[in-house]
Amino acid sequence: MKYMILTYASQQDYDGMAGKDTGKPAWTGEDFAAMGAFMQKFNDDLAESGELVETRALAAPVLTRRLGSKDGAAVVTDGPYAETQEVLAGYWIVECDSFDRATEIAARLADTPAPEFVRATAYADIRPLAEGQEDLVG
Amino acid sequence: MSEPTLEDLLRELAPQVLGALVRRYGHFDTAEDAVQEALLAATRQWPSQGRPDDPRAWLITVASRRLTDLLRSEQARQRREDKVSRWPLVPTEPVGDSDDTLVLLFMCCHPALSAASQIALTLRAVGGLTTAEISRAFLVPEATMTRRISRAKQSVKAAGARFSLPPDQAERLEAVLKVSYLIFNEGYASTTGPSLQRVELASEGIRLARMLHRLLPDDSEVAGLLALMLLTDARRPARTGPGGELIPMAEQDRGSWITAEIAEGVELITKALPQGPVGPYQLQAAIAAVHDEAPSAEETDWPQIKALYEVLLQLTDNPMVALNHVVAVAMACGPAEGLQLLGRIEGDERIVADHRLFAVRAHLLEMSGDRIAARAAYVEAATRTTSLQQQRYLNAKAATIAQTSSP
Repeated sequence: MKYMILTYASQQDYDGMAGKDTGKPAWTGEDFAAMGAFMQKFNDDLAESGELVETRALAAPVLTRRLGSKDGAAVVTDGPYAETQEVLAGYWIVECDSFDRATEIAARLADTPAPEFVRATAYADIRPLAEGQEDLVG
Repeated sequence: MSEPTLEDLLRELAPQVLGALVRRYGHFDTAEDAVQEALLAATRQWPSQGRPDDPRAWLITVASRRLTDLLRSEQARQRREDKVSRWPLVPTEPVGDSDDTLVLLFMCCHPALSAASQIALTLRAVGGLTTAEISRAFLVPEATMTRRISRAKQSVKAAGARFSLPPDQAERLEAVLKVSYLIFNEGYASTTGPSLQRVELASEGIRLARMLHRLLPDDSEVAGLLALMLLTDARRPARTGPGGELIPMAEQDRGSWITAEIAEGVELITKALPQGPVGPYQLQAAIAAVHDEAPSAEETDWPQIKALYEVLLQLTDNPMVALNHVVAVAMACGPAEGLQLLGRIEGDERIVADHRLFAVRAHLLEMSGDRIAARAAYVEAATRTTSLQQQRYLNAKAATIAQTSSP
C-alpha cells in the first residue's frame, strides 16, 4: 500500500530558512546544514529500505500561482497565502506494509533539527493513496 | 597497475559490447536489452566464479545468445500475427577490435530525440548506468525513466538509424558534446537532490568527454569540452562550505582546488586553441583556465577574461554569457562601465526575471559604493531564486551591507 506524508510551512518559515529575520529569528548556517543532513539521511534510509517511491520539496509559497476562473475564463493570480498561513511544503510517497509503518516513518520527522520555535509547532499528515476509482467508491 | 573494479570494467565494456552487437545484428533496441542482461549476468557470476580471461568476448557471447532468444520470440510472435518474416540478420562480420562507442554515441544523440531522451539513452547505452540509477540521478520515478528510454529506443528504430557514422556527423557531434556537457552540469551545478549521485553524474560527463577525446583526438572542440569540465570540476572541493552552502569563486579557498585537474585542463586547452577552429567550449575552457591559474581573486587577469567573453559573444547569443561579460567588464574597467553595459542587456526577456541578473546588479552597485541600492538588489535577487541555498547566500550579503552601512 502506498501512503503520502505531507509537511507544512508558512512563507515566514521559508524566509527564516532563507536566512531572513522575520520577527522570528533567522535560521543559522548550522541550523540549515543540520536540517539538510537529516533530510538526506532520512531519504537515503527510505531508498535503502525500498520504501521510498518519490519525494519532493516545494518552493516558497510566495512563488505560487493560483489558477481559477472568472466568468468562464481562466484567471491566473499570485499565491493568495498570507505570510503566516501554512501550506504544503513537501511530500514523500512511501510504499510500505501498513498504515502503522507509514506513521512510524513519518514520526521520525519529529527529530528534524530546527530552531526550537519551529519544532514546537511542526506537524505532518499521513494519507493512504487511492490506487484507482474503486478505492474512492469504497 | 591494480585491477579495475568490476563496476568500472563493466561500464568501460558496456558500449563496446553493445556496439559490436548492433554492428553485427542490427536491432538496436533489442540488442540494448540483451546487453543489459549480459551485464547483470556478469555482476552475478564473476564475483563468485572469477573473471573470464577475455571479459569483452564473454559479454559479447552471452549478449548475442540472449539477443538470439529475444529475436526468436519476437519472430514467433510476428508469425502468429501472420506476418511473413524471415529473421533479418545483418550480414555477419567478424567482431573486430574496433571501438564502436563513437557510433553508438551518435546513435543515442539522434536528432529525432529530445534532449532529455538523448541524455537518458546515452547514460544507459554508453554510460552503462541502470535505469534505476538514471532515474535516481534525475529525480524521476523509475517507471517514468523506463518509458522514456524505451520510447527513445523506438524512435531511433523508427528513424531507421543504421549502424555507421552518420553523414551529418559534424552536426551530430554538436549534440553529442552538448549531451555530455548537460550530464556534467547536472552533476556540477545542481544544488538539490542526493549529493553523492550528483557527483557521479559530473564524473560520468568527464568520462564521456575523455572517451570522445580518445576517439577524436584531433577535434579541438572535443578537447575544449574535456578541458572545460576538468577546469570547472577542479574547483568542486571549494565550492561548498561544511553545511553545503555555496561559496562564490572570489571567496573560495584556492588551496583546495584540484591541481592535477587544472594542470591537465590547461595543457589540453593550450594545445587545442592554436589548432582551431575556435568554438564555444574552447573559449569557455580558456576563461576557466584564466580563473584557475590566478593565484588569488584579486590577481585574476580580468582584461583577458573580458576579451575572451567578447569573442564568445560573437559565437553565441546566450544571455548568461552576456551577463558574465558584464561582470568581466566591471572587474576590468570598473563598476560604472559594468552598470552601463548591464543597462543594455537587462531588457532581454530571457533573463529579465532571472535572479542572476539582480545578483550581478547588486554586486556592481556594492562595488560602486551604492549600499542602499545594492541591498535592495540582493533582497530582490533572493526572492527570485527557488534555491534556499542561494537565498541564504543573497540574504546574507544584504544583511552584511545593512550592518556595515549603519552608523
